[in-house]
Order: sequence, then structure tokens, then C-alpha cells
Amino acid sequence: MKITNSIYVLGLSGLVFLGACTASGDHPGYEYAPQMYNSVAYEPLNQIVDESQGSWLSTREDGKGEFFNSNINNPNRMNMREPVANTVPRTKDGALPYRLKAFELEEAAKIENPVELTEQVLAEGRVLYRQYCSTCHGNNGEGDGKAGEVVGGVANLKGGAYIDLPEGHIFHVIMKGKGRMGAHGSQIPQERIWKIVHYVKQEIQKQ
Amino acid sequence: MSIKRSLLSVPLRFGYVMMFFFLLLGSGVMAANPEVSDSEEAISAGKSIFNSNCKACHRLDQNNVGPALRGVTERRTLDWATKFIRNSQALIASGDADAVALYNQWNQTLMPAHEFLSDDDVMNLLAYIEYGDKAEAVAATGDGGGAVAAGGAGVPSEYLTIILAVLVIVLLLILIVLGLIISILTKYLGTQNLEEDDKEFINQRFNFSKLVKSDAFVLIVTALVVALVAKTAIDGLYSVGIQQGYAPTQPIAFSHALHAGQYEIECQYCHTGVELGKSANIPSANICMNCHMHIQNVGGQDGMSPEIAKIYAAVEENKPIEWVRIHNLPDLAYFNHAQHVVVGGIECQTCHGPIEEMEVVYQHSTLTMGWCIDCHRQTDIKAQGNEYYDKLVQLHSGSKGSLKVKDIGGLECSKCHY
Repeated sequence: MKITNSIYVLGLSGLVFLGACTASGDHPGYEYAPQMYNSVAYEPLNQIVDESQGSWLSTREDGKGEFFNSNINNPNRMNMREPVANTVPRTKDGALPYRLKAFELEEAAKIENPVELTEQVLAEGRVLYRQYCSTCHGNNGEGDGKAGEVVGGVANLKGGAYIDLPEGHIFHVIMKGKGRMGAHGSQIPQERIWKIVHYVKQEIQKQ
Repeated sequence: MSIKRSLLSVPLRFGYVMMFFFLLLGSGVMAANPEVSDSEEAISAGKSIFNSNCKACHRLDQNNVGPALRGVTERRTLDWATKFIRNSQALIASGDADAVALYNQWNQTLMPAHEFLSDDDVMNLLAYIEYGDKAEAVAATGDGGGAVAAGGAGVPSEYLTIILAVLVIVLLLILIVLGLIISILTKYLGTQNLEEDDKEFINQRFNFSKLVKSDAFVLIVTALVVALVAKTAIDGLYSVGIQQGYAPTQPIAFSHALHAGQYEIECQYCHTGVELGKSANIPSANICMNCHMHIQNVGGQDGMSPEIAKIYAAVEENKPIEWVRIHNLPDLAYFNHAQHVVVGGIECQTCHGPIEEMEVVYQHSTLTMGWCIDCHRQTDIKAQGNEYYDKLVQLHSGSKGSLKVKDIGGLECSKCHY
């Protein structure tokens, strides 16, 4: 009888212990070789902020846990940093940062669309429009997107006040925002915004 | 039509102004300028102008982004209203006291110029504003923010529960009835004259302790327990290193079901890196603010939601929101979103599951190497319209089967491990 009893006890404890290996809720589960899972280098989106994590196998000279990989020299211990002031990112098409301020609409309206209008550009513009604009302006640009109903005051791109706007104006508004619309310059690269402008001008406003 | 035109016409300014009594608005006693036409044509022409130019910010009987418009010709002169519609910014800049007061009252929101509207257009527009769509006022008050429709999925599951409960009750009843039948039969047989063997059979008792102590029982139970433990052990060991089902509590209770599901915001709107680089990216607070500078609470409630207040705090303090990463690919493996989403044309949901239905995001896929390899073995290359693959397709045309990811190095170790 003793053997059976000990088997029961072993079995139950085994169930409890191994059941805890599975990830659920706030518990991510366990790993066989955590050294190979956690990055030693600073990762932009994957940083471990707990200084004691991995202290049980730590060989670090600073005495911190093996897996701690946040940059203590940065604001908020972030691994990501904003670009250094007065520097310019180099893009493959050589586009320079957009320097006009949000209020300089009249200047912006004079800018020509640098992206050549082709079938492919229109197709890409359509995809991008659906991704970034449809949610407020609606698939047909009538200001009837699902989120637009809650945001309120979404422009009907086919309305008289918008139909004849120059391409540079549309680009500037997407980039910097206007009225109730927020600035989307941080979300969409310039080249892609110009493609959206082509789509709005050629497809939506000509329907 | 629950708005009644009052029979007693009360002389107001000019004597022959009709009175409109708004049943549901109660206080809305307004009169329109008599120069504004109330003909059907003018109203319908005005309606189309209103819908394409004004509807975004104005309602007839409710304040929206801009003020409710009905009764404007009573509040203002026709000349002033026309000027404001045509170019409100010029009117404000000219220092017109009414225009400046209105501009300040509405948080200095600018209204676009509508200089393309002719005099007739403006008059038609005003006709619609004063006389059009009266029912809207009623519908608007009855609506009261109940826009969130209940999901239709609740009904079948409720039915299922009821059916199950009924079944359980029926089974219990059958059990009780059977028990009763047995006891009645036993009692009845007890009163009969039976042989010794039969009496013993009827009166025998079920001996539990004897059964439990029997060798066969111990053996069976032990074998079952050992099998169960072995299975759990193997399952448990296999689940080490797999975070499927991980659904951590996030610093802000952000609902993908609301944003991606109900409001149909595309994934790429916030996860801007997904077509451009390795990571899909977690949006920073400025992207949230594109909408949330206008939306402070859920479901049209007043006041500030405590969750949305956290975005405002993050923006004000310039402090990033510390989201908890859910999909933790080990450092030993390389994965690139752009390659899979742009070149491979894979939908987000293929790997991330029904994100648009998740209140709290969980890891849908196992993200094991076997899972990756399996997909690479089965997936055809999207070679059409991509000249990069032309030569490969040509070389492959001799062999049987279509060109799959595995055929162009999708199983090479160094593709992902280096």
C-alpha cells in the first residue's frame, strides 16, 4: 500500500509542478536555456527592466542579473532614442525631412508631387489609403468611416471645400494635420503619403 | 412626425412667422426668417449640399463639432449667415463681434471656406437647415449613445446552456425514477415466497471496501495514475519554451476588439513598421492621440476614461507607456515582418489569430520552429508580378509540384539562425 500511496503523492505533485510550465494569463511559462532566449544586446522593443532577472546565473561585472538589458544612461532607461538633434536620416531616394511648419499651408500647396503617376502607384495608393485614411474618411472619401463617426468633423473629400485642393496641400495636411485631423507624418513615410495623394486626386475626387 | 405645428400662430417679429413647437426638445421655440423658402425642391437641394459639405461637423438639432444649426436665420441676419458660410475665417479676421464670439465659444475650431456656393445654394441650404428632416430631432434624442450594438453571438451559446441544463435535469429525474423502481421491486419481491438463492441475490449489499482493496482495482487505478502523470509530464516538458496562450495584463486596458473589430481600424494604422522592417512596432502615444484628442471616453459617455487618461499622462510627461511584449521570439531566431507581410502577402491573422475579436491579446500560435518550418513546407511562393522570382520559377518548372518556400532555402538553418 505504501508504494501506491507514494505514487499518488508523486503523481499529484508532478501534475501541479508541470502544469505550471504552460503559459497563461500573466505567466509566460518557462524556457530550457534562457540565456539563448534573452538578448544580450540592447533591443528596441524587447527590453528587460528588472535588474534582478537572471541573477541566479549572472556573471556580469556590474552585479546585475544576466538578462537585464535596459540602457541605464537613457531617459526612462529606454533602449530606443530619438534621432540626434540636427541630423538627417538618409533615405534611398534622397528625400530630405519635411521642413514646413503646420501653419505654412500656402507654401506647401505649391509643392509638386515627386512620385510619378503610374498604375502601380495608384494601386499602392489605394492600399495605403485603406490602411491609413479609410477608418475616418471612409472607403469612398465621404467622411463616413467607422472611427470617423466617433471622432466627428471628418472632411468629406468630395465636398466643394476640398475637391479642388492642390496635391501639395493634401500632402501637407496628412503630414502635419489640420483642424481636427492629427499629424500622420510619424506614421507614413513621405513617399507613401505622395502615393496616397495620387490616389485621392485621381480616384476618390474624380468619382 | 411627433413635432406638431402649433395652430396658434404667434406674432413675433414680423407678425406672420410660423411657430414650431419641438415636442421632445421642449424649449426649442424657434422661428425662421420668412425669406427662407420652405419648398420641397429647395429643401432637397439644400439637403445634398448639407450632406456633402456640412454634415461632418454639424447636425440640425444637436450640437456636434459645431453648433446645432436649426433656427440660425432667427439668431442671425441672412447676410451675416451667408458671409459666415462662405468664408467664416475672413469674417472672424475682419473682427465681426458675433463671429469672434462664436469662434471662441467653439474652442477656436476653424470652419473651411465654402466660396463655391452660389446665393441660391446658400438659400437652399438654409431652407434645409430650417425646414428639413424634422424627424431627425426625435431620432437623435431617442438614440442617446446606444450605438454600440450587442453581438449576435450570445444567443446560440445561451440556448446551448439551457439545453444542457434541461438534459441534466432529465437524466437526474430518470435516475431517481429508476432508484424508486428498484426499491419498490425489492420490497415487492421481499413479500413473495422465493427460493433461497433468489432471496440472497435480492438482499445482497454492494461491498465498497472489499472492492477498493481488491488487487485488480489497485492495479487498474495505479496504472491509470501512472499513465496520467506520464502524459502530464510529457505535455509539461513540451510546453517549456512555448508561450502560446500568454495574455499579460497591459498597462492600459486596450481592446483590439473595439479598435480593430468594431471601428475597423487597419492593423497598419498603428503598427506602422509591419510593411517596412523587421518589427511591426508598438505605436507611440502620438498615434493614439490622432483620435483620442477628440475621444475621451468609451461609448460616448461624458468625462475622461481612466484608461484614456493614461495616454494623456504619457504625452504630457513625455514618458513611454511600458507595454508588455507578448510575442517573444527567442534571441536565437531572426524573423522579419516585412518579408512575410509584403513579399509573402500573409495576413496578420494567419499568425496572430483573431486579433479583431480579442479584448486582451494572447499569443495565438506556438511560434516553435516546427510551426515555422511547417508553413515554409506548405506555402507557395507568390511569384506572380514579382520579377525577382522569374529565374527561380523557370528553373523550377521541370520538377513536379509548385514552387514552395522550402524550395528556395526556406529550410536553410542560416535563414533564421545566424
